[in-house]
Amino acid sequence: MDTVPLRPRAVSEASWVKLLLISIGVAILTLFLLLPLATVFGEALSKGFGAYASALTDDDALAAIRLTLLVAAIAVPFNVVFGVAAAWCIAKFDFCGKSLLTTLIDIPFSVSPVISGLVYVLLFGLQGWFGPWLKDHDIKLIFAVPGIVLATVFVTFPFVARELIPLMEEQGTEEEEAAVVLGASGWCVFRTVTLPNIKWGLLYGVLLCNARSMGEFGAVSVVSGHVRGLTNTMPLHVEILYNEYNYMAAFAVASLLAMLALVTLAAKALVEWRFSSEIAAGARL
Amino acid sequence: MIAARNVRKTFGSFPALSDVSLHIAEGELVALLGPSGSGKTTLLRILAGLEFPDSGSVLFDGGDATTVSARDRRVGFVFQHYALFRHMTVFDNVAFGLKVRSRRDRPSKGEITERVEHLLSMVQLEGLEARYPSQLSGGQRQRVALARALAIQPRVLLLDEPFGALDAQVRKELRRWLRRLHDELKITGVFVTHDQEEALEVADRVVVMNQGKIEQVGSPTEIYDQPATPFVYQFLGNVNALPCRIRNGQAEIGSLVMPAPAYSRVADAFGVAFVRPHDLILSRPGEGGGTCAVVQHVTILGALVRVELSLDDHIIEAETSRQRHAELGLSPGQLIMLWPRQARFFLRDGWEGTSLESPEEAARTSAML
Repeated sequence: MDTVPLRPRAVSEASWVKLLLISIGVAILTLFLLLPLATVFGEALSKGFGAYASALTDDDALAAIRLTLLVAAIAVPFNVVFGVAAAWCIAKFDFCGKSLLTTLIDIPFSVSPVISGLVYVLLFGLQGWFGPWLKDHDIKLIFAVPGIVLATVFVTFPFVARELIPLMEEQGTEEEEAAVVLGASGWCVFRTVTLPNIKWGLLYGVLLCNARSMGEFGAVSVVSGHVRGLTNTMPLHVEILYNEYNYMAAFAVASLLAMLALVTLAAKALVEWRFSSEIAAGARL
Repeated sequence: MIAARNVRKTFGSFPALSDVSLHIAEGELVALLGPSGSGKTTLLRILAGLEFPDSGSVLFDGGDATTVSARDRRVGFVFQHYALFRHMTVFDNVAFGLKVRSRRDRPSKGEITERVEHLLSMVQLEGLEARYPSQLSGGQRQRVALARALAIQPRVLLLDEPFGALDAQVRKELRRWLRRLHDELKITGVFVTHDQEEALEVADRVVVMNQGKIEQVGSPTEIYDQPATPFVYQFLGNVNALPCRIRNGQAEIGSLVMPAPAYSRVADAFGVAFVRPHDLILSRPGEGGGTCAVVQHVTILGALVRVELSLDDHIIEAETSRQRHAELGLSPGQLIMLWPRQARFFLRDGWEGTSLESPEEAARTSAML
């Protein structure tokens, strides 16, 4: 036999069943994933490349891009630090309240982003609990950049921690114990044993966290106030342009977000392909 | 010298160790032997500083080390599943303990290389420095783990089920090799095992543990020939446990009567008689003494023959040589005379491991017929 079938013939389906299932799969993928993606780029370039470029270099568009990058640049490192700390804590130690902490980390996943945005408005808005105090001290959180950062950090919080907790739990604590017995300090154990073991999981977490923080709409929409050129992120800018029937410009900005998604996926695939043996070795032992 | 004094440890409501005291002399190789859940691994981890006792103390060279962290105890610990650093090469794994030292105590790069290479040649892994743990076999990983533990020149080497995850052939080889290594290096060692053969073959001294307590401490021969408690008797090797009645210094096993001088003051009590299969002498009716039993089943195991016999509703296992088997012409249904060369008796109350008598007294109970 030349090829080894993935499944023995005995448990394989008839060829017409296979064909049918594959066709359904491809049709659904095309309809729900490929077609919309093609539409985004199609609409964006509908008036030619010049119009596309000028839509992206428009002052408000540039401001939106800058703000999105700024928010991601703050939210991602913040969540990396706290995600790793939370995962390390949950996966490697036993303490009372552990399951409560695990649930808390999951809250941003289970709560609608709009609600989380509203909570910040209710807490820090002018009529909110801390509103008067913030106003007295001349601190503006809501309808300003800090509020957007806060909402984004909240929404993207679980990405890094969720990626790392199962990985770290599976790896156990024996390697850390071995390092301690050999004389390594706590920080040294983390730097030389724990961190190298989770680096691929961490990278996935960062990629996903970054994609989400740039693409977040709901929570940011509530706290942003939609001030053009000031508190508009890319997803909000897309909405504004669309509501103004400026379809071409809206799709042009949207195409950047779509490209971000594609780049994220490509980066993930590249990492998996390039370091497949190392990743497998790490998981196997 | 390492010692544990009155160590207690509970996990939740489970008593892992209750009042365990143990003394390990310099250069000794000690086996902690017991079934799973007997507390042997917990004791080992307490010696390493990976767990801390609820009460009691750990002594290193006479000084109290109970609160000293694992990091500062300078012990070599070999984990059951090796716990090699998976993203480091064999070389870096072995060098780890030297590299993490503070700048003051750290050997130079050249010295580290030299030491690692020496260790790798000692564990017969020369040439594999650049491999990753995932590229090694189980036996090789175990030897890397050993070299890594020895690199810091530990005061004591602690091994948690060191051969548990290996197949039988490799395990035997590594066992002999560990014994040789210990004889060469003269390092104090403690290893945990549930395999009695391993404990008896490798260790200078065996500590038999059960349910968080030490049942008996002794040389392998002592442990095997003079088990102090019914548990040790059952745990080490095959044994027939037969109910018996003890009356005024005599034990009655069915129609068989044997002297039990240690119980001369016991008027009438139920007990258990322990007889090893190889201590049962078989002979044709009329040729020898003893009691009559019926052959049920005969199994040939290499040089030995295992014979299953029924005696007053009890199934007894006996072992005899191939030659004796041929002489007797053993076959199922045959009547045969049974003669215990040696037996030990315990009163029923002592069944759960709390012997009524002192171990010395118990040893004398061994009755020769």
